[in-house]
Amino acid sequence: MNKGLDYLFGITAGDRDGDAPGVISLARQWAAKEVIGNRLDYQRNYAALFEDKARVLALNMGLQRLAIPVDQGGFGWHGPDHAADIAAVLSEVGRADSSTGVILALNYVLFSVLTRFSEGRPRLVEAVATSYLEDELKIASCILPGPGSAGEETPLFKGRSILARVKAHENGFVISGADLRPFAAGLKADLFLVVCADERGRPCIAVVPGDAPGIERGRGLLTTGLSVLANADISFVETEIKQENLIQGPEAVPLLFTLLNLFLGGVSLGAGMNFFEILLDWSDSRIICGSTPLKENPLCASVLADAAEEIACSRLLLDGLARLVSPCRSVQPLDTEGLYTYAVMIGARVQQSIMRAINRGMELMGSAGYAKEWHAEKHWRDVKTIQSLLCGMGAEAPAKMDTARFFCDCKEI
Amino acid sequence: MDHFDEFSRPLEYLSPMDRHLRSVLRRFIEQEVMPVRRQYDEDWKEHALIEPAFDRLMGELGLQKALFPQEYGGWGIAGSDYIFRFAYLLCEELGRADTGMAVALAVTFWPLLVIHLEPYVNKRLIAEFAPLFCGTNKAMFAANAMTEPQGGSDIENMGLLKGRTIRTTARLEGDEWVINGHKLWPTNSGGVARLFGVPCTTRPGSSDIDDFAFIFVPADAKGVTQGGPYEKSGMAADKNGDIWFDDVRVPVWYRAHGPGRDAEAFYQLIPFGQVASIAFLTGAMMNMYERLYEFVSTRTYRNRPLKENPAVAGIIGRIAGDIDICRILGHEAAMMGDRRNTPYGLPLISEELVGKIRNIKDFVSDRAVENLGKVMDVLGCYGPDRDWDIEKHWRDIKIIQLWMGGKQLCQMESARYFFNCETL
Repeated sequence: MNKGLDYLFGITAGDRDGDAPGVISLARQWAAKEVIGNRLDYQRNYAALFEDKARVLALNMGLQRLAIPVDQGGFGWHGPDHAADIAAVLSEVGRADSSTGVILALNYVLFSVLTRFSEGRPRLVEAVATSYLEDELKIASCILPGPGSAGEETPLFKGRSILARVKAHENGFVISGADLRPFAAGLKADLFLVVCADERGRPCIAVVPGDAPGIERGRGLLTTGLSVLANADISFVETEIKQENLIQGPEAVPLLFTLLNLFLGGVSLGAGMNFFEILLDWSDSRIICGSTPLKENPLCASVLADAAEEIACSRLLLDGLARLVSPCRSVQPLDTEGLYTYAVMIGARVQQSIMRAINRGMELMGSAGYAKEWHAEKHWRDVKTIQSLLCGMGAEAPAKMDTARFFCDCKEI
Repeated sequence: MDHFDEFSRPLEYLSPMDRHLRSVLRRFIEQEVMPVRRQYDEDWKEHALIEPAFDRLMGELGLQKALFPQEYGGWGIAGSDYIFRFAYLLCEELGRADTGMAVALAVTFWPLLVIHLEPYVNKRLIAEFAPLFCGTNKAMFAANAMTEPQGGSDIENMGLLKGRTIRTTARLEGDEWVINGHKLWPTNSGGVARLFGVPCTTRPGSSDIDDFAFIFVPADAKGVTQGGPYEKSGMAADKNGDIWFDDVRVPVWYRAHGPGRDAEAFYQLIPFGQVASIAFLTGAMMNMYERLYEFVSTRTYRNRPLKENPAVAGIIGRIAGDIDICRILGHEAAMMGDRRNTPYGLPLISEELVGKIRNIKDFVSDRAVENLGKVMDVLGCYGPDRDWDIEKHWRDIKIIQLWMGGKQLCQMESARYFFNCETL
């Protein structure tokens, strides 16, 4: 590829200022040096190398501290003003490895939520920040509302079942819920952001340390992608948390979804961009009909164009969402519902677009598309996993209902 | 609808073996494949779990004998007027459980068809290879060693290239062919197959189909070297690897038919492979339907089963409708193949038949890729979970879309026929 990714897809990168270009560049160097430059070795020894490389990025290069508040010893990228920069960093990481990107994304979501609702709970932010400053790779996970079980009425968050319950207990709360499916890393997570229903059925977020008594982790799940994150179902058996570990109020859960859609969109976009690099390499070097480079065949060129278009449009959509999240950059600030709706809408569209780009591009790669050696299939599996997890259930239907509710004032759906 | 069997198919098209063989296969896969298929991915290299299942399917149930004439202990299917429909039911039923297993069996038929299908029958070679497949209760595989490093799917593009890009050479020395070349990716390579069908050229760079040769090579012939299996995103039961032919010598009569007729006999494999591919896809989609039915009936949105929500119903209704349409199309494609020797049929090597069957395969592949991806999203956080089986099919069927020249070659063959394109 004679034009860099920045030129092809990074047309809004010029908006960045302050430390952002440097941090993004750092993440890019990590991706190039630690992973992409040694792709075959990384693929063959993935289980062993994943954590080593993630530690280099998170600890040695300090990206684990990126969203920790400055007064807690971090870099202070937890506020909405940095949402676009965080998404850009995650795209660089996603180019190399989506699982590493997901870990960082979940950590950034954690600090963004904690700091947004830090009033009245200073010790919680401090305690979590302190643990993240240790020389250990930290993993946060989320348990989101999702499909319920037939015959069981549950409290709902926009139609999705909230399967964890929280109730007051002495000076804090207890959480209960069986066989809950985390977003990722059920076996490894150091901390869970659990969407649960309070005694009145209202959605709220419980911050549950991974070592809290009463947490039971199920068997490890075999998954399509993000397999190194080792997911497993989680049960809470009267798990006690402190009072300040429960974040209540109507803005909390929508914010969680908003940030997940933005940041995980960034990860998938990065995976899509690296897939495009692989695809271009393939179409430059392979011939069709005995003599024509693949990319010079008009039918193949139209497939390449499809992939490029999906990725470029996703980048623009994500940049737009980041602007909406950062009020100072937004043309017209949105309320919580509006922001949530745009995030869900754009998040779903970005995941669909990246999947379409990869699916189309794989068509040109033939068997190299599904051979592990070429790495295209890993991006394909990882992004599909992120997409399905982010959907929660019902494919696009729940997001469509959210959208219709916002734009059309639907009351019954 | 009470059962996935009720997806449409033209009942008048069913072969005489359909009912019995389908029930035998169904019992086999439900007892011996489906309970363990979630462990197949980790068995991609060793085949410790997979190999015994193949022994039972191909050796003990005897499917590897199916093409051979009854006088050699076979079932005589190649001589019947329903081989395509037989293959369809076989591949669909197996595809419901594991498309990788289905393709390993179907590809064993592939090179053997070159010498079995009228009017391209080579009785001497049938007699030569029959004992290998009919004389054992252990699974015995064959492979079609087509793809070459430089040419990708060019080999499947006989209509345009006529073998011009093939680099594997066959040189006649006395009463032996001497073969040199490098093939990669054949199903049942990676150390599995005992017999290879090898498309090669007797004059490199020639576009004269008389210079195309299809020659059988035993896997244990001197000069044959096989690499280990590649690691892939799915289809663990189907091993693929490199094969090198280094001055490999085989008897002169191991060439299938001779100048001109080799290319024609080989070209028949394209529609057969496409019909089998469609069957793998409809089989996988029927299992997708079974698992989806369970999920949308037992899991809820707004505290009602997902399937009772109109927005979700719109999605799953379209998916089921696609399966129904694809299955009808698949049976029609199989019937096109079985009409080949009738007055109202088309030869398997005709541009019309190849174009139309490629078109159906392209259509069904697209529907399968889109629908399995969609079903993963319907399952949402359970979609990537192997316990629900959807993600396995999703990984496997993408491979089917990409093989045999993939989508773009299907589009070209279709355009060539429907628009009389002359330069594509």
